[in-house]
Amino acid sequence: MQSSIQLEAASVAELLTRSYEHAYEQGWTDGLPIIPATAEAVQRFVAASGRKADDLIALLPPRKGRATVEVIAVNAIMAGCRPEYMPVLIAAVEGVTDPTYPLELMQVTTNPMTPFLLVNGPVRNKLEINYGTGCLGPGWRANATIGRALRLVLINAGGALPGVYSKTSFGSPLRYSYICAENEEENPWTPFHVDRGFKREDSTVTAFKASNFCNISGGEGVGPDEILRQIATNMPPMYGGGDGVLLLLGVNHAQSLHEAGLTKRDIRERLWELARLPVSHFAAAFASTERGAGRGDEKNVWRARSPDEIYIAVAGGPGPQNVYIGAGMPQTRLIRPA
Amino acid sequence: MLGIPTVMVVTDTFAKFGRRMSATQGFPYVVIAETPNPIRQLEPAALRPRAEAMIQTVIDGLTLPPAELQARMHDAVKLIHPQGIARSTVPV
Repeated sequence: MQSSIQLEAASVAELLTRSYEHAYEQGWTDGLPIIPATAEAVQRFVAASGRKADDLIALLPPRKGRATVEVIAVNAIMAGCRPEYMPVLIAAVEGVTDPTYPLELMQVTTNPMTPFLLVNGPVRNKLEINYGTGCLGPGWRANATIGRALRLVLINAGGALPGVYSKTSFGSPLRYSYICAENEEENPWTPFHVDRGFKREDSTVTAFKASNFCNISGGEGVGPDEILRQIATNMPPMYGGGDGVLLLLGVNHAQSLHEAGLTKRDIRERLWELARLPVSHFAAAFASTERGAGRGDEKNVWRARSPDEIYIAVAGGPGPQNVYIGAGMPQTRLIRPA
Repeated sequence: MLGIPTVMVVTDTFAKFGRRMSATQGFPYVVIAETPNPIRQLEPAALRPRAEAMIQTVIDGLTLPPAELQARMHDAVKLIHPQGIARSTVPV
């Protein structure tokens, strides 16, 4: 990807179209249009990272591609990032290449699992990474392009060409961009990154191995028991694919639960107790597998092995909504300013 | 040539992919015993003849000299990374 090519056209619009066509033919894009990564733009993005162009961040599976700062910059430009997003993207690449994070499996398996990125700290407001209304939907550049840039890095540096090295049977729309920040301003408890040992003033990105997206509408009922039962019964075991749980609590429910005196630990334990179904509900082989994996007993299949596999963050805007993501193996990295 | 003699058992749909992944680990000449995809639904009685059909490949892979195995797979390794294919909706 680092070799340069010369494209000519009679107009800017035609040049942009030709750039997109060329990137598509080469397999450099997720299918959407790209911004051409000119030498000047690459220099700007490298400078914004505070690192050298040839700094090696990671080797990416399956093809052991070299994710240098320059390679990450090229993909960030193509994805539509701003230069100042570079430190977030570099930290995300560091997270997904931790030896305990199953990136090689995720790059090649038939299951459409994908990284989910949760951003914490001051960088959220500085870069306008949405954590409020619509934070997982379209409309915000940072959310749309940082996740997309990570996907392009995984394709281009890792070599996970769809159908060639990536064998995901269906793929997933989550593979275009799957990221939001935590709504720390309306989180009545400590922020997620503080729970993981970082300072409140630190900026971090946490990469989860994620399998799905499930919005839980829960306007019915009053009180913590009703709220948590509604959430728990919408995250049955088969949704998870062996992962734990990331619950993005909506701001209204977070406030209600906090006012009722519940801690995050209380919520995790209560959800763990509620999110289970009788063995008779499932295929026998699945129930047996889950029991063998420590997620069940003779009577029930459990959603998680223990409350420790249930992660909680607060996000989104007002409304009786929460988001359940089958997710686990979080890797949190400090975002180092340039 | 290196380590423990090994044969990969894989369904035909994923055979080229299996060699591709083996190549990323430095073993492009891995011996692959193939059987038609899928097998997950097969009862033991149906699975047994599938295994028997592959057994000679397994024996060859575990016992023949590496040079002979490598010569047999001369054409297969050309397909490890299909040139000019950036995406595919069917097995390649």
